[in-house]
Amino acid sequence: MRIFVSLCFCLLFVSRAAWGQESAALLESQVKELRQVVMELKGVVEKQQAEIELLKRTEKVRLPEPSPRPSAPAVVSTLGRWNPDIGVLADTVLKLDSPREDAEGADRLSVREVEIVFGSPVDPYSRLDAVLDFSDFEEAALDEAYLTRFELPFDMTARVGRFRPKIGKINAYHRDSLETVDEPLVIDRYFGHEGYSRSGVDLKKLLEVPSPMTHELVFGVLEGGVGEGGTAFPGARRRPTFYSHLKNYVDFSEVTNLEVGLTHLAGSKDADRRLEVQMLGLDAVWMHHFTSRHRLKLQGEAFYMNREESVDGTLWGGYGLVDFRLHPLWAMGFRFDLVELVDNPVTNPHKADTGYTGYLTFYQTEFARWRAQFSHFDLATGKDDNQVLLQGTFAIGEHKHKLQ
Amino acid sequence: MKRGTLVFFCFLLGLNGGVVYAGEAPLKVVATTTTFADLVKKVGRERVSVAAVAPARWNVHFVEPKPSDVRNAAGADLFVHAGLDLELWVDPLLEAAGKTELFRGGPRNVDLSRGIELLKVPTMPVSRAQGDIHLYGNPHYVMNPENAGIMAKTIEGKLAEADPAHAESYARNLKEFLEELDKRVGHWKRLCGHCRDREVISYHDDVEYFVRFLGMRAEQFVEPKPGIPPTPRHLEFLQGYMKEKAVKVIVMPTYYPREAAAALAARAGGKVLTLCQNAGEIRGTEDFFSFFEYNFHQISEALK
Repeated sequence: MRIFVSLCFCLLFVSRAAWGQESAALLESQVKELRQVVMELKGVVEKQQAEIELLKRTEKVRLPEPSPRPSAPAVVSTLGRWNPDIGVLADTVLKLDSPREDAEGADRLSVREVEIVFGSPVDPYSRLDAVLDFSDFEEAALDEAYLTRFELPFDMTARVGRFRPKIGKINAYHRDSLETVDEPLVIDRYFGHEGYSRSGVDLKKLLEVPSPMTHELVFGVLEGGVGEGGTAFPGARRRPTFYSHLKNYVDFSEVTNLEVGLTHLAGSKDADRRLEVQMLGLDAVWMHHFTSRHRLKLQGEAFYMNREESVDGTLWGGYGLVDFRLHPLWAMGFRFDLVELVDNPVTNPHKADTGYTGYLTFYQTEFARWRAQFSHFDLATGKDDNQVLLQGTFAIGEHKHKLQ
Repeated sequence: MKRGTLVFFCFLLGLNGGVVYAGEAPLKVVATTTTFADLVKKVGRERVSVAAVAPARWNVHFVEPKPSDVRNAAGADLFVHAGLDLELWVDPLLEAAGKTELFRGGPRNVDLSRGIELLKVPTMPVSRAQGDIHLYGNPHYVMNPENAGIMAKTIEGKLAEADPAHAESYARNLKEFLEELDKRVGHWKRLCGHCRDREVISYHDDVEYFVRFLGMRAEQFVEPKPGIPPTPRHLEFLQGYMKEKAVKVIVMPTYYPREAAAALAARAGGKVLTLCQNAGEIRGTEDFFSFFEYNFHQISEALK
């Protein structure tokens, strides 16, 4: 039996080997044929590819139109998908001023400011915002450019770059959000003509305390100095300024609310000193909405600081504002200013700049606004200044205000 | 010293109280409008605690979120909104809250426009010369009750995702809501059957979904362009239009100035009718169904 199986195996092996020798030649010829076919096909494909490219270049190829999508996902335009939000704000002011001096922007119609605003998420964790300022009588300037980093430990949010710190209430606003044509005197005299914007870093935290009130704490470190014309921390760029702000907010009802904020700033007035200027601020806003487009707002801010130049070592300044949106298209209001000056004349140390401002605003649309304003200032120098201002503010493009 | 350290530690714990979760606590939901808030309540019932940002009597286009809204959003499990460009204040609100999962496209952001068949989607380039136009189509889709089913399904899906332990409960609530909605939709269509092919003037272009649902038309608006206040010339045109086409009804929500529409109605021999845009805009319309009930009853009576 074993011999029989061995014999069969040998026969089979020999026969397969013989068949293999015969078929090898056959296979070789088939492979040659196949290779030739593949080469021909390759040539055809290359030729057709070249034709398609040519057709595309000459726009003869009509790619299929994307099917109409009536439901919501159709909202994203592919063209603008990677562009940041871009907005342009133009602020034109006609200013008639009583003093005869040829002051900047006085007795002329000027494009006081054109703001170009960019903003977009950088990645899932952060966002970049930038505001560039142009003017027809000043050099272009970088007002803000900062990165916001969300969801840091302890649910904090950070800003890094150049920004308007959240001191008081009005400083964080851009001019198009102000109720008046100009900043209150206390901002102008202490922090600069266009407010306080510096490079630095700040951290914000919503405090989760068992209270019907909302509390937000901000702490920041900024480079020294203030804006152009400001006197709070002048000329000490290398000495940092530390600031903190606690916002406290309560709803009395669905339509009435109150916000009270406390500010602290510590900085230096020259390069030799360290945090010798301490500043405290109090801000408050009471708001009552009659409807979504009719409201009454009472707002005030005061800053108090120690300055050795002053006779008694302290200075203060503040303003009070009443703004009444009496109609969806019309608003009117009044502002009172009082500010003691750092560089007051020695002969009259307690004389302050005071101001009385009334205004009427017409909202042509949501994106175009006209304002007429009259201001009377009693200056510490003993002179008066009467100003008539007519302002037009216009916005194009994407324009969303940050919540302050 | 030790006592001081302990107090400080307790203070820090207090600051971060938000990280301590109670197992059976309801989901915290913030919705942009009272209508959406009630819809969430219908699907979530006792498992959700809902707050609305825009008060019912406010135009949702012009809301300034308050610090308390920021706090609510920061503590929310879900944020529900209309999407598109109805509430342009949503992004600043969510950025102030600082929770990236709630941002548009985030897993806890509920965009109710998903799946809705949008009307008046611009097919030509748009600019603000056309007024305060909506780039992505008319966003007032909540005015068609048939869209409520789609919105409720979106909400149910997100609630189940956020709280899978109660997914069955949400599915059951949704089923009951859809059954009720189905009955009501049939009733409203019968109630307003005589309104078919009739035309109304609307103050703002915010009833397109409503009139389409009833087979009606709203082709002219008191605003000459979206968001642009009426002008004398435009009102004169509308007066002629109403007389020529025998249009007798001007519809508007409560929050627009009524003077121009009232003057037009008096001159053209028509009347001004209030149609709510938000649940609770008028007393007795706080519930999602009563909101529609009021609107359909109003239009039915006015066009008899």
